[in-house]
Amino acid sequence: MQAPNESPKAGKSSGRGARSKGEQSPPWLSKLNASAPEFGTITHVETLPFGPSLKLDRYRLQNGLEVLLCEDHSAPVVAYHTWYRVGSRHEQEGKTGLAHLFEHLMFNEVEGRAAGEFDRLLEEAGSEVNASTWLDWTQYNAAVPKDQLGLVIGLEAERMSKLVLRDPQVTSEKEVVANERRFRVDDDVEGAVSELLWATVFQTHAYKWPTIGWMPDIQGFTTEDCEAFYRTFYAPNNATLVVVGDVTAAQLLPRVSKAYGVIAPSQLPLEDVKPEPPQAEERRIEVKKSTSTEKLLVGYRSPALGDWDHPILSLLVEVLFGGRASRLHQRLVRELEMATEVRAFVGPFKDPSLTEIFVSLREGKTAEEALVVLEQELLRAQNEPISDSEIERARARFELGLLSGLDTVDGKASTLGFYDTVLARPATAFERMESIHRIGASELRRAARTYFQPTARSIVFVRPQEVRAEAAEAEAAAGEPNA
Amino acid sequence: MSQPATVSNRRLLVETSHALPLISIGIGTRNSALHDAEGLEGLSRLTARLMRRTGGGRDPQAIDTEIDSLGASISADVSHSVTLFQGTVIRRSLDAFMQLVTDILARPGLAESELSRLVRETSAELVETLDDDRSLARRWFRKRLFGEHTYSRSLNGTSATLSNIRLEHVVACARRLAAQDGLVFAFSGDIDAETADRYAQELTAAAPPGPELTDNVPDPVVPPGRRLILVDKPERTQTQILIGGLGTHPADPDHTALSVGNTIFGGTFTARLTQEVRSKRGWSYGAYSSFPIDRRRQGFNLWTFPKAEDAAPCIALELELLHALRDGGVTKKELGWVKRYLTRSHAFAIDTPSKRIGLALDELLYDLPARYHQDYLARIASVTLEEVNAALQSRISDEDLLIVVVGTASELRDKIEAVIPNLTSTEVVRFDTEV
Repeated sequence: MQAPNESPKAGKSSGRGARSKGEQSPPWLSKLNASAPEFGTITHVETLPFGPSLKLDRYRLQNGLEVLLCEDHSAPVVAYHTWYRVGSRHEQEGKTGLAHLFEHLMFNEVEGRAAGEFDRLLEEAGSEVNASTWLDWTQYNAAVPKDQLGLVIGLEAERMSKLVLRDPQVTSEKEVVANERRFRVDDDVEGAVSELLWATVFQTHAYKWPTIGWMPDIQGFTTEDCEAFYRTFYAPNNATLVVVGDVTAAQLLPRVSKAYGVIAPSQLPLEDVKPEPPQAEERRIEVKKSTSTEKLLVGYRSPALGDWDHPILSLLVEVLFGGRASRLHQRLVRELEMATEVRAFVGPFKDPSLTEIFVSLREGKTAEEALVVLEQELLRAQNEPISDSEIERARARFELGLLSGLDTVDGKASTLGFYDTVLARPATAFERMESIHRIGASELRRAARTYFQPTARSIVFVRPQEVRAEAAEAEAAAGEPNA
Repeated sequence: MSQPATVSNRRLLVETSHALPLISIGIGTRNSALHDAEGLEGLSRLTARLMRRTGGGRDPQAIDTEIDSLGASISADVSHSVTLFQGTVIRRSLDAFMQLVTDILARPGLAESELSRLVRETSAELVETLDDDRSLARRWFRKRLFGEHTYSRSLNGTSATLSNIRLEHVVACARRLAAQDGLVFAFSGDIDAETADRYAQELTAAAPPGPELTDNVPDPVVPPGRRLILVDKPERTQTQILIGGLGTHPADPDHTALSVGNTIFGGTFTARLTQEVRSKRGWSYGAYSSFPIDRRRQGFNLWTFPKAEDAAPCIALELELLHALRDGGVTKKELGWVKRYLTRSHAFAIDTPSKRIGLALDELLYDLPARYHQDYLARIASVTLEEVNAALQSRISDEDLLIVVVGTASELRDKIEAVIPNLTSTEVVRFDTEV
């Protein structure tokens, strides 16, 4: 079946100009709207190309809920993602980790259903279900066989407005999250020092606390805290549904209208963003951890995802740190045999954040030695033009990463949902790819000079903690149990 | 949904899809780490990595640059039973990529200087893995579960075995891993069968002559009794716990029944184990059980990671749940539910060409019974409650269990020993002991 509202221009042109707006609704949508619930009237907003062969339609319900539909009939499955525009940046001091706690609580109990029934029904439907939270957003993803789509729509709509929050569930999930924190942070060297780096760099902006939250905050949440957070942020006008797969608009939208059209929008608070002031001098921290070798973590202040410079800096970081042919891998791992691993990423966030560089040293090598080499290579990038072949290599890595991420309906939905939530431009992945093809050595050198400034960096030196003496006796302790 | 087209000699699998300009390639062989001589543990993995770095006599930087610039990736993965060179490439670079892959398998450089460098790098990685508690638990579980069996050997090797490896071992091993008669090819994505066949033939012709080796290893046997291994690591706030024993073999008549029973017990988020450990008590972020498969019988295990104070009660609960599963079996209601789950969720095992081809490749490389994956839904539909419960009772041993805990031994030992009835032995090992 042909998708409704398909623009005659869609698919014929590419890039940012290819969108259509304000077309007249097809008869079936007008008919649907005539009998829609109170907030369920649907408007078609735009059609966008998504890569060379797919397109994307944006719809909006009267209550503000956005719906992005990308038809993909290559397999009889549908990805159904719900992206809420709430992340750890929307929390308050003393209540950190609340957005992430909801990633857990949302799988518990909804009105009219027993605790655990949500998961049980979705698993019975053969669904793959998960969720994630980061600084700017929280997303819930379900992938279902196409004949089970109605179930997931109903359940997702229910938990948007009818979540039951009681003390036992909150207490139990707090404990699970505390264990998750031990797993990912407290007993994990990289997790722990990354958290320390961000807390060192950010002193004003909400990016200073970890998404999972500080342990005392996690343990201190009350059911009332959760109730207030839910009523504020879990609302149709703070969410986007991203639907990719073997479904048409005519099959999807009536169900969406019926399920979500009864939910009133909420009064979203004005976000109290406190921009991080420029960093004027280098910050250094040294910590001891239970690790076998030294680690070096360096954070340079870097632009927001929507900044013109973000793809430029990302391409530069790919040249310097991406893969085994990158400059830093070649120097630190191969030539000098100083490290086992070096990697970096540019924060993909709504506000300016960090380029985070991680080096794991070999035994006997120090983080200071690695820092010297890192500085040499960053200086080189600032002073010498990067060759065309290095730029081409980095571009090809980007392109492979983009295409590989679109193999499944879930991959497509994640890409669309992420860019729509952070930038309000769902097809940005391909736009970035186009812009990366236009970036040359001049832009890379400018980015190196702009963003790799020693005064705008923070460094964490990680030293191995000495193993306690009594553990040395352990190996001899085999034998009969004591008890 | 199209099914993979296979050629009659069972050496080439192809599924064409033009949805994305990408091609996935897998070249596998059963000649793998099982065939490494004792004292040379780690040889196959080291050799596969060296082949990947020196194809056609290139130096590693040149080869990495070339792969990246083509818009491609390739890795060499070595398990006990299978070596698999896997890659992905953007369509426009397919020809150049396949020449490079052919160089990696058929014409590896294997320079002595690169071998020495890779041995040093691997040794450093072994030190690095000591930071990973989950990996420590898995390594000690494998080591103590399989005892003297080849499955107990480290795929990465140890500093001692790595130092035993000489260039002549590597050269011989490279010929074994790329031996003509052992190679199986799998292509999926933007490629037709004729083109895939041509590449497979060209690579096979260039590869060294040699047979597909037989495994020549028996099914593993585990020591009797309930054994506790404490992997002692200082100042752990959390533990990593693996509990298990011998598991299943795909040719077992009760293999499907056992897999179904495991899914009910610990295979999903709403399974018994997760519900009791995580949902009701909040003790562990994850709680799962699994029965992996291989060409010989593998193990089964329950995996949890509670904080140190909850480790002993968590182990006690897991033992109770395991006992109840074995003796009480599962219910008709649970079976009906899990059948619906397994049947419907199978859509996601076969929703892309690369996944479908991957399953077909597994059938060939792991000696799976004929139509193992194609008949999966029929087998699930036909399994009965009696078969599931009989399989659980006969395959899960209540007496012969291995319990591996990574944590701070001085704080855990007495409490854990107290909750394990009929504990036969306790062994405390340092976390930095090589295994």
